Amino acid sequence: MFRKEPVLGGAEIAALVTMAAAFAIPMITKNVLVYSVLNQALVGIVAAQSVWIMLRMNLLSFATPAFMAIGGYTVAIAGRYEITDAFLMTALAFLLPALAAVPLGALVLRLRGTYFVLVTFVLSQIMQLLLFESESLTGGSNGIAGVPAVTLLGTEMMSNRQVLLFACGIAFLATVITALLTRYFRQHFAAIEENEILAESLGLVVWRYKAVGFVIAAGIAGLAGYSLVNMLLTAHPSSFSSESAVDFIAYTIIGGRGTILGPIVGTALLVYATNLFGTHGQYAQGLYGILILAVILAARGGIAGTAAAAFRRVRG
Amino acid sequence: MQQFLQAAVIGVSLGAQYALLALGFTLIFGILGVVNFAHGGFYMLGGYVAYSCVSLLGLPYPLAVIGAVAATAALGWVFELYFLERLIDDHLATLMLTLGLYLVISTGSLTVFGPLAMEFHFPVTGAFHFGSIYVPKENLVVLVICLTALAALWAVLFRTDLGRGLRALADDRAVAMAQGMRPKLLFPAAFALATGLAGLTGALVTPILALSPGVGDPVLATSFLTVILGGLGSLGGAALAAFIVGMVEAYTSVYFGGSIGALVLFVLVLLLLVFRPTGLLGREVRGA
Repeated sequence: MFRKEPVLGGAEIAALVTMAAAFAIPMITKNVLVYSVLNQALVGIVAAQSVWIMLRMNLLSFATPAFMAIGGYTVAIAGRYEITDAFLMTALAFLLPALAAVPLGALVLRLRGTYFVLVTFVLSQIMQLLLFESESLTGGSNGIAGVPAVTLLGTEMMSNRQVLLFACGIAFLATVITALLTRYFRQHFAAIEENEILAESLGLVVWRYKAVGFVIAAGIAGLAGYSLVNMLLTAHPSSFSSESAVDFIAYTIIGGRGTILGPIVGTALLVYATNLFGTHGQYAQGLYGILILAVILAARGGIAGTAAAAFRRVRG
Repeated sequence: MQQFLQAAVIGVSLGAQYALLALGFTLIFGILGVVNFAHGGFYMLGGYVAYSCVSLLGLPYPLAVIGAVAATAALGWVFELYFLERLIDDHLATLMLTLGLYLVISTGSLTVFGPLAMEFHFPVTGAFHFGSIYVPKENLVVLVICLTALAALWAVLFRTDLGRGLRALADDRAVAMAQGMRPKLLFPAAFALATGLAGLTGALVTPILALSPGVGDPVLATSFLTVILGGLGSLGGAALAAFIVGMVEAYTSVYFGGSIGALVLFVLVLLLLVFRPTGLLGREVRGA
């Protein structure tokens, strides 16, 4: 039904090269500010990729923080039992949110566009309540502090550099998964984005691809939660607030929803810009708002899309 | 029994507030097909405009409320006409535009008024005692105004040409336009009507509850819950669901306390989505 495509396209290769280059930064500098911004950006990039996967099918998801919470709290709770193995916890941080997404997906993917948006918003609110209410498991409003560092091949990843390197690793892994998924299902996702009803009537089993996308996007979000908890060494409900979903959506839209480079570029630039506000970080949301309005009204491709179009024009 | 009636009073007054918010929200969706993420923002803005009128301009509170309605309705009109109108058929784009507007409104309020809650109090205080039931006067005033506004909204929608035009556009835009309805005039009017209602609710309720830059978020979440419960785009459903939500919140907070009420509502909504995805009174909705 669909023509064979190369395994990875130009945008995916550029994304992987960018994420691989991130490993070099902790090796060449010890600047605390650079470390902090880069670490936040790496968490944001993973979360934004989760949003982006769903946007490929024209579905805007606010559920990212909910799945991040499952991944993050899994790691924090395992830490209580001194389980810190990097490979095991990475697998669990991906698989548990993905598993949770199976029944949730069956519920919410019956809904189209607008309803999907509203219900995912409600889902992230439910997760907040559950985190606060199930105190014996999640520590309630205290959260879980003092999460032990990751153990990678027998080494405890304690230092700032090691934490950052681990975040680079998680982000790289998430980018590989996202790139392979969206590339493999490129035309299926594009058909759903373009016209779901037409795609279905032409024989595409739409719910199957939506379900696969939703489950893997949940897994990716879980990885973001792992990276976030590992950065803060704390799992707290406020890290997974439903308002943070707005940030990840802003990163993705402003960066550009056309290719996988969008969420990466958007997150990097906006996290950097947010840090320029210094202690007045709450004002950054206004900037996001203005940029969202500008992108939707004037530059539909976002930063990455507009830059790519300009590049093509220059080259003729 | 006394506690039971007391909770009913709280529930009705919450329900009336939620109804004003949810009706505006569902009106915008039903007529324009737009999910208004800025609805909580308009509520908050209503509160701040009323506060500014009272404390900076020294206006009496009733005039301040009218000022808040006018300001939020005007902003809604302009935003619809110059921003939403250009992309009106793209659900996701209009949703993101309203999300952008919300971020701008809340950051704007934060910049102008600062992060702290305002000293903004309802001019009427005290309480009525009916037997052993205690009803704060401020809640009663708000309830009366909300019910009046609901009745006025009903009259506008079902008894005037404007309302007939709006409902025609909601039913079938192409046919309504062929019959001479003018979306360029009616769409901004519908949006302004809805945002004005949000502003009215904000101006009335924030002096009783609180006025700070974060107050829009829970309002948005409650509006979502209410319209999902009632059926997106259904006016009757929104009103019914608003009172259900109000009652559930009132009774759970009186008898259980904490956030049980919110959990009960979430479970209700999820169950409804399994068994009746179109909501209590909804039908197959446009593009949703």
